[in-house]
Amino acid sequence: MTSVTTLSSAPDLRRLYATAAFHRGNDRETVPDERVVLSGIRVDLGELADYSRLCGFSLTGILPLTYPHLLGFPLQMAVMAGDGFPLPLLGAVHVENVITVHRPLQADDRLDLAVHAQNLRPHRRGRQVDLVTEVSVSGVPAWRGVSTYLARGAEHPDATAGHPPPLDGLEPVTGTAPGPVWHLGENTGRAYAALSGDWNPIHVHALTARPLGFSSAIAHGMFTYARAVATLAPRVPDRGVTSRVWFRKPVRLPSTVRLRSVVGPARTLSRLESADAEVEHAVLEQHW
Amino acid sequence: MATQPSPRKARRAAVLGGNRIPFARGNGAYAKASNQDMLTATLDGLVARYGLAGERLGEVVAGAVLKHSRDFNLTRETVLGSRLDPHTPAYDVQQACGTGLEAAILVANKVALGQIEVGVAGGVDSASDAPIAVSEGLRHTLLAANRAKTLAQRAKAMAGLRPGDLLPSIPQNVEPRTGLSMGEHMAITAERWGITREAQDELAAASHQHLAAAYERGFFDDLVTPYLGVTRDNNLRPDGGVEKLAKLKPVFGKGQNATMTAGNSTPLTDGASTVLIASEEWASEHHLTPLAWFVDAETAAVDYVNGDEGLLMAPAYAVPRLLARNGLALQDFDFYEIHEAFAATVLTTLKAWEDPDFCRDRLGLAEPLGSIDRARLNVNGSSLAAGHPFAATGGRILASLAKALHEAGGGRGLISICAAGGQGVVAILEA
Repeated sequence: MTSVTTLSSAPDLRRLYATAAFHRGNDRETVPDERVVLSGIRVDLGELADYSRLCGFSLTGILPLTYPHLLGFPLQMAVMAGDGFPLPLLGAVHVENVITVHRPLQADDRLDLAVHAQNLRPHRRGRQVDLVTEVSVSGVPAWRGVSTYLARGAEHPDATAGHPPPLDGLEPVTGTAPGPVWHLGENTGRAYAALSGDWNPIHVHALTARPLGFSSAIAHGMFTYARAVATLAPRVPDRGVTSRVWFRKPVRLPSTVRLRSVVGPARTLSRLESADAEVEHAVLEQHW
Repeated sequence: MATQPSPRKARRAAVLGGNRIPFARGNGAYAKASNQDMLTATLDGLVARYGLAGERLGEVVAGAVLKHSRDFNLTRETVLGSRLDPHTPAYDVQQACGTGLEAAILVANKVALGQIEVGVAGGVDSASDAPIAVSEGLRHTLLAANRAKTLAQRAKAMAGLRPGDLLPSIPQNVEPRTGLSMGEHMAITAERWGITREAQDELAAASHQHLAAAYERGFFDDLVTPYLGVTRDNNLRPDGGVEKLAKLKPVFGKGQNATMTAGNSTPLTDGASTVLIASEEWASEHHLTPLAWFVDAETAAVDYVNGDEGLLMAPAYAVPRLLARNGLALQDFDFYEIHEAFAATVLTTLKAWEDPDFCRDRLGLAEPLGSIDRARLNVNGSSLAAGHPFAATGGRILASLAKALHEAGGGRGLISICAAGGQGVVAILEA
């Protein structure tokens, strides 16, 4: 029996992070059967404008493909901070994300959000879990996001690999189009944290990232992903789209990165890489 | 021996339709939207309405009056962020409040000459997201410091900075040469022509009534796309009658003769508009019906600095030249779209055309142009009600007039737009 927690407002992420260190996880084999829902929320146009500016979207009145993730993130955190959630809250790494847009969301739509966890499974380097965010308007499903988080821990060398990123199509064309280059400053993580509320210490500053195993602050995956989506947005329909990203090597801040893309009639395939093309930061595939 | 190329015969350019976002009063609903945001939303709305996604158009021409230096390629950047084929070229134009109509003239002329088959003309302005520059003193200091080769030279350059240089330079709605605002200029002209407060308030009230009625009958359903929660021009006051307007205090002009109020002057407004213009062939290939034909256009300018003419009087000169070239009388029109920068602008222009002295001495006409049937003036409302995002006004008027002519089953319309710098842009449409 699924337990449903109905929130009246978005959870306070600062409080969740303040107590995050106490959510150490456990060795349960399944995630709690729980849904967290928040109904009838309205997008704040000022926040939408700031997000659009930071990530490079035009403020058109249609929500950017990645924006509902921002709205669902506090609910994801609430699920992961719940008693009995098997993975620790701190240090979990976003490894993959899939977004499906059934119909475009307008900036003035009243959105109903529901988040649940599923599919706890072993990973080569620990365990991973999917956090599913569903957005509907007046009962009609519009948007679905699946965020996969990895908690490093006991290794599972024989864990079946997930769906691998389809890189083959990208190779022959890299080098023709330069693609956009982004200079991501040391403050990038703080700028995105201020908008998203995702103050995970690994993004904030080198000093707060070090105890968690990173030599510098790293960019939010959802930020670099959003910038890539924004660049491609004019070539991608606003409905019937599935957008998938694999986060590979973190983007250390500050950094200069480049997005190389192949844009086809029903698909885009992109690679976010370091300026010298040595490091693959992310692979992004969208199809419709 | 080189053969002389024969000149290509001009053909008709059709206005196929338009799209704009509702205009919003400054520092309100669109306060956080940039010019590029609004123009992109407007262009994408046009693309959606006419099925242009992925199409390569001949060109997109647009502009903004208040423009950030980073927006030097505003229209091309907008095209790259839109659903049009990225192989669509674009360029910016700027002719103050005449920008939108001038952009349309450029596109229509290229279509008429066969240089392009289809194009989009547009304009956008944000009074809210206005550019703020550093002062001239700071700018010169920074440039000098940038040129400096040594630390000492740089320090010397920076030492030249004065505290007052740190104040930013905020754009002002004044004529650079006279230091007078447009309203102050208009007040001088209005007083000279004896334009009464009552006549101005009546015109303003009619603008609101006409615009409200046009919205009520669904006239704007295929001309306007809602944006950021705004569905109608939010300056519109459907219930604002002459009585309410009469209570407002004058804001331009001095003393007893001050007649211009916030109610009979346009407010600072944010918005964008686009118009689709094409050849007859392109329209029929794309199963689109021409709403009206772009017949001809004229621009004029007056010497408002040292000469004896009002800043916003240039259309009064442009229209008779346009009429003469087309063999038309002022009365040969079914619709008149005279941009309401101020109610007094419209009234002065009409009065000048009725005035035998003005028409003889200034326009060189034996007879005055005469009066128009006021029932044909701004029949679907104009800038006093809709608001006036400078460069976006031309596109608003053009698309609305083309649709009105099409609805009427044919006819002829005149557009008249005054612009800063003592300029005027006017055009004729026919259906």
